[in-house]
Amino acid sequence: MTTTTATIAAPTTVATAATMRKGYKDYGLGGTAVRALDGVDVDIARHEFTAIMGPSGSGKSTLLHTLAGLDKLTSGESSIADIVITSLPEAKVTEVRRDHIGFVFQSFNLIPSLNARENITLPLDISGKPVDKEWFDEIIGILGLAGRLTHLPAELSGGQQQRVAVARALVARPEIIFADEPSGNLDSRSGNELLSFMRRAVKEFGQTIVMVTHDPSAAAHADRILFLEDGRIVDEMREPTADKVLDRMKQMGR
Amino acid sequence: MLRLAYKSVKHNPKRLLLTTVAVALGVALVSTTLTLTNALSNGFDELFAETTGTTDVAVEAQETSDAETGDDMWAPEDALISTDDLASIAAVDGVAAAYGGIQVDGTAMPSGYEADGSMMSGNGAPTILYNWHGVPDVDKATLVEGSAPTADTDIVLDVDSAPALGYEIGDTVSVATDTGVEEFTLVGLVRFGESNSLQTATLGYMTEARAQEITGQDGFQEVAVVTEDGADNDAVAEALADVVPAGTRAVTGEQLQAEQSESLDSMLQYIDIFAITFALVALFVGSYIIVNTFRIVVTQRTREFGLMRAIGVTGSQVRRTVLLEALVIAVVAATLGIGLGYLGALGMAAVAESFVGDIFGTMSLPLDAVLWSYALAALVTLVSALLPAIHASAISPMEALRESATESKKPLKTRNIVGAAIALLGLVGVFVGLYTDLSMPYVYVGAGAMALVVGVTLLAAQVLVPLAFGLRDLLTRVFRIDGKLAANNIRREPRRSANTAAALMIGVMLLALVSTFTESLKSVITGEFDAMEADLFVTDSGDGVVPEGALDIIEGAAGVDFVTSVGLTSVEYDDEARTLVAIDTATFESAYETDADSDLSSIGDGVFIAPDVQDLGVEVGDEVTLVGATGSVTLEVTGLVDSSEDGSFWVDWSTADALEDGLGAYQSLVVLDDGEDVDSVQSAILDRFTEEYPLVVLQTPDQMTQLATSFTDMILGVISALLGSALVIAILGVANTLLLSVTERTREIGLLRAVGVRRSSVWRMITIESMVMAIFGTVLGMILGVGLGAALVKALAEFGFGTATIPWGWLALYTVGAALAGVMAAIWPARRASRLDILEAVAADG
Repeated sequence: MTTTTATIAAPTTVATAATMRKGYKDYGLGGTAVRALDGVDVDIARHEFTAIMGPSGSGKSTLLHTLAGLDKLTSGESSIADIVITSLPEAKVTEVRRDHIGFVFQSFNLIPSLNARENITLPLDISGKPVDKEWFDEIIGILGLAGRLTHLPAELSGGQQQRVAVARALVARPEIIFADEPSGNLDSRSGNELLSFMRRAVKEFGQTIVMVTHDPSAAAHADRILFLEDGRIVDEMREPTADKVLDRMKQMGR
Repeated sequence: MLRLAYKSVKHNPKRLLLTTVAVALGVALVSTTLTLTNALSNGFDELFAETTGTTDVAVEAQETSDAETGDDMWAPEDALISTDDLASIAAVDGVAAAYGGIQVDGTAMPSGYEADGSMMSGNGAPTILYNWHGVPDVDKATLVEGSAPTADTDIVLDVDSAPALGYEIGDTVSVATDTGVEEFTLVGLVRFGESNSLQTATLGYMTEARAQEITGQDGFQEVAVVTEDGADNDAVAEALADVVPAGTRAVTGEQLQAEQSESLDSMLQYIDIFAITFALVALFVGSYIIVNTFRIVVTQRTREFGLMRAIGVTGSQVRRTVLLEALVIAVVAATLGIGLGYLGALGMAAVAESFVGDIFGTMSLPLDAVLWSYALAALVTLVSALLPAIHASAISPMEALRESATESKKPLKTRNIVGAAIALLGLVGVFVGLYTDLSMPYVYVGAGAMALVVGVTLLAAQVLVPLAFGLRDLLTRVFRIDGKLAANNIRREPRRSANTAAALMIGVMLLALVSTFTESLKSVITGEFDAMEADLFVTDSGDGVVPEGALDIIEGAAGVDFVTSVGLTSVEYDDEARTLVAIDTATFESAYETDADSDLSSIGDGVFIAPDVQDLGVEVGDEVTLVGATGSVTLEVTGLVDSSEDGSFWVDWSTADALEDGLGAYQSLVVLDDGEDVDSVQSAILDRFTEEYPLVVLQTPDQMTQLATSFTDMILGVISALLGSALVIAILGVANTLLLSVTERTREIGLLRAVGVRRSSVWRMITIESMVMAIFGTVLGMILGVGLGAALVKALAEFGFGTATIPWGWLALYTVGAALAGVMAAIWPARRASRLDILEAVAADG
């Protein structure tokens, strides 16, 4: 990062990986405007696995997108690694994404024309950084992808594709990984496997992960769950279990 | 189904926009051409109506021979009609009066001209000078200012030419004629017909006595007959046929005008054919784009078609939907193209007017332009959409449920076999056309070249795969990840990339072919002038015949050793027109190196024949009978020349005179005494020409080479300009393919952006893709074009062509142009790709 803004501090000195203050997000204009985020204040602690839950239309995906700099807040402020991204131009936000954020989407995570290895090293290739060979091998070993590195995405199973996506998110050791329903398209066994890997990444490597999900058993892998309703954070839960989460969700009228 | 097709086009018009523009451009070229030639024809019709339409009956020289080609339509005829003949014509029943007309062969020089040995007026519009009768219906022109010519020094000019040449009434006008420069006083201005539509020609009148003095003849070339009131012109013309002298005929003004229009129209037809050929090339290129577009669109709509099939739409209905969409495009594109073409014609007419003056008549959109445009557009789009349509109808309902929307990874084997077969067939066609003696060889060459293009297009997909693979490392090293992704994208859809590149290949191939040919032609010309013994060349920029008087001046000039002249004309041999070369057998070889089996002086009273006549089986010792304009002779073949480039039959001037009385020197070669300075002799002679023969051109071999070189460059320029539309269409094709491919890769691009690829990087990725395709197409085109050009040059060896010259300079220029075109073609798709909203892109359907 060459940004000289005063808001940048050494990321290691702070306890939060991402924050949002008074986050508002409106879609549309005038009478048809929909408020997706309604004054959200949130801190994402470092080295924690945070899950965001809520019923459809609660704004959970919007929260993830705005935190990650994929979408702009209508008003309010958000920052990644103490860089306030809400006031940065698009090109700078892209650099923040490149250097500090990893992504895992629900599907279509991989570039079809690149093989698994190339997909994993994509973020490093983009920024022109060298690949840390040891780290790369460690991730590949944990995710069980060693024999699949030369395969194209089309030649991989859904679970393998998502693991490649997780590997890609991990390889650059980003400040924070955002995952949008990463297990949403997988069968329960593959999904569980994937979430266990993500949990290991948090526990063993101190990675920070924020995940949006509507699946209580997926959310149960997290350290902390934020419940969202009508664009507001209405509750949070620590040390969740699937049953506790399900009960809480039922209360939200789901 | 029509509603569905219409809605589909309406729902996603952008998708088909560039396709429409591509077809419209091809159509525009057709419509521009037809509109322009139609207007040109109108312009000349107006001229003919005004020159001959008012004459009741005309007596004029008969066309001498059908074989006579290259005849200057404006050149004056011999004065075949004597004063006695005029009297007998006037005495025929129904004739009220008969007026003898003389046309003076001369060129009105612009005010304050200076001869410098270069082309003065080129072969532009002529000057036509007549004798003034003072009878309104006979003179064709009416006096609008000043007075009619009464004294022998008087002249009148038409109202447009006098100011154009810089003359006002009272000025001295110089007219260059065969016998020298004549001077006149401008006494008046005349208007020709109603609007003075002279197609930039200069018209003037002088007295009969002066006209006869200049031509040196006391008869008339033509007679304008005024019939009595109520007389039947046809009947009078028939009656006159009995009294007119030999070699002339009587014809009504009406018929004459029709004949002139007809001969002009058949001439313009060649322009039409020439230009429409280029339009067809453009449309052929356009058809590549249509095929590609529909192919991609069908692929992208696989789910939609699958769904349609699932709810009970039959395969043939799906096929019809696609074809109807093509038809909608055809109609829109043709309408657009006709409009564009008409505007283009107006624009070109305006440009032409600023260079050569008003030569076009009333501008109107001819019906055949409209019909041709719709027919061609419909044909091209429907034929191109046929394969994709069949493909669409074969989509099974199950496809609707499948996730991927990319083309199936069918192996290229079938495509390669078919491609190789077609390419081979094309090659055979080209070689059969070039090297065997079939009639109409160009048909084989043309069809062969087209098959070759299609074959190479099919094969190109196979070449692209390893090429993109090889390029991947290079591109990755230079452009890092952007380059790698670009190379991958090209490799991913080799058929699509190959078809796109091939569209450009066709245009570049033709350019490379023409430039190889013209460059080789240049080397031939340069080589020829280098081998020349002559120090100076004499030609005439007026009527093309070097005046005798000018030759006398040169022969008499200090430092000149000798002058030898060459005459060129057309003779009939075995009912076919062939070129006859008349030379001074005694001196010619000392000035001009000719490859003949024996010395040219041994022609004697016989004839040397060129390879084209030798091919007919004529041998030395045989007798050939040649029919010329004024006589026929039977000659013994006394030798052979090795090249057909100058002409088929070589004879001595004495023989030529027997074939065509009064054949002039087409070109004269001047050899100076040893050690004479060419420049000083040249300028000394030119000083005298300024006074007497301003139209005679005297040049050194170097100057001639330059002239010939600039002429071949001009041909190359014209053809390049005509190919321009094909190239523009090809570039549109690259843009179109990329645009559709961007749409297809929306999610992928969104993902790249999400993980931190900058907008500028996305832009660069698309640009690299575009440049690689453009350069690939260009290189293929250059290989094919230079290859075909070399084959052509080799086939023309008997016309003096040696080895083919590869136009390296042009090839480098085309490559740079292709790279630039690649950058340009990428602008719209790259802009679109880099502006994609990341969230929408990632969530995009399919």
